[in-house]
Amino acid sequence: MKVRVPGLPAATPLRRYSPDQPLVDRPVLTGSAPGARIDLRWIPLAVTSHSPLAGEGPGEGSGPWSAIIFDATGITDVAGLSELHAFIAPAFRNLRPCGRLIVLGTPPEDCTDPAAAAAQRALDGFIRSAGKEARSGSTANLIYVAAGAESGLESTLRFFLSGRSAYVCGQVVRVRPAKTPPTADWTRPLKDRVAVVTGAARGIGAAIAQTLARDGAQVVCVDVPAAGSALAEVANTIGGTAFQVDITAADAPDRLASYLEQRHGGADVFVHNAGITRDRSLVNLTAENWSSVLAVNLDAQLRINETLLARNVLHPNARVICISSTSGIAGNRGQTNYAASKAGIIGMVQAMGPAMARKDMTINAVAPGFIETAMTRAMPFATREIGRRINSLNQGGLPVDVAETVAWLGQLGTAGVNGQVIRVCGQSILGA
Amino acid sequence: MTDLRPAAILGGNRIPFARANGPYARASNQDMLTAALDGLVARFGLQGARLGEVAAGAVLKHSRDFNLTREVVLGSRLLPSTPAYDVQQACGTGLETTIHVANKIALGQIENGIAGGVDTASDAPIAVNEDLRRVLLQVNRARSVPQRLALLRKLRPTQIIPETPRNAEPRTGMSMGEHAAITASQWEISREEQDQFAVSSHTNLAAAWSRGFFDDLATPYLGLQKDQNMRPDASMESLARLKPVFGKDGAATMTAGNSTPLSDGAATVLLSTDAWASEHRLPVLAHFIDAETAAVDYVHGGEGLLMAPAYAVPRLLERNRLSLQDFDFYEIHEAFASTVLATLKAWEDPAFSRDRLGLSKPLGPIDRSRLNVTGSSLAAGHPFAATGGRIVATLAKLLAEKGSGRGLISICAAGGQGVVAILEAA
Amino acid sequence: MTLTRLEKTPGLGRLYAKAVTSARGRHGDRLPDITLELPEATIDRDQLASYADVCGFRKSDILPATYPHVLAFPLAVSIMVDPSFPFALPGLVHVANRITQKRALRADERLTLRVSASDLRDHPRGRQFDMLTEATIEGDPVWTESSTYLRRDPHPALPRERGRVNQHEFGRENAHSSPSAIWRVPRNVGRRYAAVSGDVNPIHLNPLAARLFGFRRAIAHGMWLKARCLAALEGRLLDALTAEVEFKSPLLLPSTVGFASHPQDGDWTFAVAEARSGRPHLNGSIQV
Repeated sequence: MKVRVPGLPAATPLRRYSPDQPLVDRPVLTGSAPGARIDLRWIPLAVTSHSPLAGEGPGEGSGPWSAIIFDATGITDVAGLSELHAFIAPAFRNLRPCGRLIVLGTPPEDCTDPAAAAAQRALDGFIRSAGKEARSGSTANLIYVAAGAESGLESTLRFFLSGRSAYVCGQVVRVRPAKTPPTADWTRPLKDRVAVVTGAARGIGAAIAQTLARDGAQVVCVDVPAAGSALAEVANTIGGTAFQVDITAADAPDRLASYLEQRHGGADVFVHNAGITRDRSLVNLTAENWSSVLAVNLDAQLRINETLLARNVLHPNARVICISSTSGIAGNRGQTNYAASKAGIIGMVQAMGPAMARKDMTINAVAPGFIETAMTRAMPFATREIGRRINSLNQGGLPVDVAETVAWLGQLGTAGVNGQVIRVCGQSILGA
Repeated sequence: MTDLRPAAILGGNRIPFARANGPYARASNQDMLTAALDGLVARFGLQGARLGEVAAGAVLKHSRDFNLTREVVLGSRLLPSTPAYDVQQACGTGLETTIHVANKIALGQIENGIAGGVDTASDAPIAVNEDLRRVLLQVNRARSVPQRLALLRKLRPTQIIPETPRNAEPRTGMSMGEHAAITASQWEISREEQDQFAVSSHTNLAAAWSRGFFDDLATPYLGLQKDQNMRPDASMESLARLKPVFGKDGAATMTAGNSTPLSDGAATVLLSTDAWASEHRLPVLAHFIDAETAAVDYVHGGEGLLMAPAYAVPRLLERNRLSLQDFDFYEIHEAFASTVLATLKAWEDPAFSRDRLGLSKPLGPIDRSRLNVTGSSLAAGHPFAATGGRIVATLAKLLAEKGSGRGLISICAAGGQGVVAILEAA
Repeated sequence: MTLTRLEKTPGLGRLYAKAVTSARGRHGDRLPDITLELPEATIDRDQLASYADVCGFRKSDILPATYPHVLAFPLAVSIMVDPSFPFALPGLVHVANRITQKRALRADERLTLRVSASDLRDHPRGRQFDMLTEATIEGDPVWTESSTYLRRDPHPALPRERGRVNQHEFGRENAHSSPSAIWRVPRNVGRRYAAVSGDVNPIHLNPLAARLFGFRRAIAHGMWLKARCLAALEGRLLDALTAEVEFKSPLLLPSTVGFASHPQDGDWTFAVAEARSGRPHLNGSIQV
């Protein structure tokens, strides 16, 4: 039997990163409101416009722009916000496909003056709406830069400018002052770093392992023994090592810690990616389905983090990245167990952030939305198609999109991003 | 010559052992050994490394695989400039290759190397009928077409029937099981003793798998994740139901349950100098201290085919000034439950010790709780040449877990040979 | 574009029969705008083992880079025997094949295969077009293939190139004069590959059938020869690669051929030529 399905409208193929690409290949329009704090002159192909006037905007007639960056950190009142509008509105339509709109602000919670806090918070609503209006694979994101963090911004700006952030849209990231070691080579920002990836045998985990290795890391690939054959292949392909362990075993944290101490003298990047689903409606959910999901997805992360810190396995400037899910933010039918575990991760990350910062380390969560994986493959066709389409980019993401976000958070230069949740969801309407 | 420094054992990798004609039915020796080797490469990050050598072998080997190990290296993730060679000493192969590599490391000839072995009972070579082979060779030598045709006319349909490979000793025509049955009856090894021994092999192996002992010793292959022959629920009752397959009438005590099954599998071990290990931040699990090989005249000398280790061990102990009780672990290969039990009995037997071993007193009993503590061939299966590598890596890890102590390996082999060795914790 | 989703792999035997019976009267200058999709194809380990045996790959949990071709080939033939297809299948010559994979594919993964015909254009000896195949796993297009076929035409639109310099001097020079391997390709390789690939085109099976189509003897499948070349490099290649070959002349069975390979910065050039005459059969390259 043949089933004829109508050809679905094609979504714009997203521009994705490769190390041999230039950061931008067309001019970048940069501008700022008075009182701006950020130096954007290092950005290649930057075209600067300081005083956007009403009427003939600076972006009009020029372009197409690779990106539009507007430094709004100096805006302190509602009147100041008109600069934002006046600058971006005319240029926005000249954003090339897969272009970038990036707005820089001051964290509203750092503003003592209510008008300033209001104006800065306004950027949040602006960028989320602009993200929804952006066409042809373009994205819009907001970076709140705290006072004193101006010099620690480069890795984050590079991330949002490049194809690394292909499926990241409508996100708000905060960069705070932190000891930020220099990055010698932006094509290999993880050079000589030891990175651990759990659940590395396949899917998103394999993509993370490959991406970290591409960026120069020595990768320890961890997965359950049953997945060992695929794990060995991943490790051999990227010149890493394979470590088989069931992370829920009582002695697993100590075995991992001992392994990392002995073989690498510790770890620089630890990616908690291993996760399982046991989807059932709440009334049909067995205790086993509940506890196995919580054990793998949440408890193992807590126990491993505790051991790594207690045994000083994590090197200075370590980066811990935990894979959460938009299900953990928005909830999902049939996933009370999974969503609970993934929300729990966010709680853990937020609670650990300050303590990690005191050790010059960071911990962050990455929450993938609809990523084409074995899990989404199991969905019925209609559900899957809806999941793919209900986001600003009109398509599902790929495992590599999650991996690139993880790799950015793993960089030495990303010291100022801590205790946060970054969604890789194409600005899905779920969990916005 | 440099000082002798015992080689360090850094770890191993094997594929789970399968029963013959199981999941590896279509895999060749080369396929399986490559899988085991590439898994080892992944575990230790050896991609693109040039090692001192790789020594391995197979007992059942196709003629095209004359250079099996070198072919495997060429298809593996190791650098193609890594030398390799084959060794064949029946079931002793895997331990013998370890001895070779360890000795070269101890002598300072190489810094590191991989030892191993592989066997398939599924993809076994089938030889053409001997009559047919002679005719074909003559045809090959013939110089003219009429000569060839004349020779080919000598062919008879019966000659097409191939020589089926038999697990039999060429000089006695008896299978290994039949030989073992004779020994079992000579040493009066009861059915119950054998079955009990088999049960503990399964129980120990299953416990080791479930506590994750093999997490860093095995890598799944072709969908098989654990040793296929393992029966965690093996019991005296279940084994008692099996009919004897070897031995005569009243003395028939050997069943499929207390004998090793025909198996497919491969195993590898990584060895190096201490210096190379520490330079590469690879923990040393154990050191390879010494080894001994013995052979017995099972054809005319009245000794059992698989009893050679009983002779090798006392010689090894004497050279190292050790008693049989000076070990924390004993790894005695379970070709048959009766073989292990007969060997242990022989070491306790004053007459055997005096008359055969020339010892004033017996070696004495061992603490059975230290014997094959993570199971052995009865449960895991026994792909002949792969067993040595499995045992060496297993014992090295046991010693590393304990953090101190000494272990004894004993492997009996076809042809009346026995290979034994001592490892010490690092 | 019309996307037709198939529920199971079409049988090639029937398709070939249809190819012969519907060979006459085909015409036109457009390729049909058909895309066939076989969703979530699973790998039959036994068939994979047989394929590995015939081509010289080892048995592993990883698919040879050429293996998805076998899975998708029935879809390609389905398109080529569609009534709207302008050329008769008998007489089409496989002249080139390019496969790109982003990573190693595993035997436990499910491949969604999409096949379409594309880019009908002139060739110095007639008309050529590409059969395009894309294999996606979990939405990610991890493997793509372009197979170029030639329809000979006695009066080609493009001028016949005379005294054209062989672009692949490497093959002519090395596969013949200094091969890295000599392969004795047995008579039964066509039948054995047909059995595992389902490609039962009679020109590969038996000399008499081959003669009907103008060959002196049965000829090897081009994709077998490509697979054999990749198998010769197994263990040396990275998982992400593009393997491109041109089929220069049919490999008559049995034959003795020379294989030459040359690595350069992770890339490879390779070639197969008839051992005695040096007649090139295949020139290829691998880029990582």
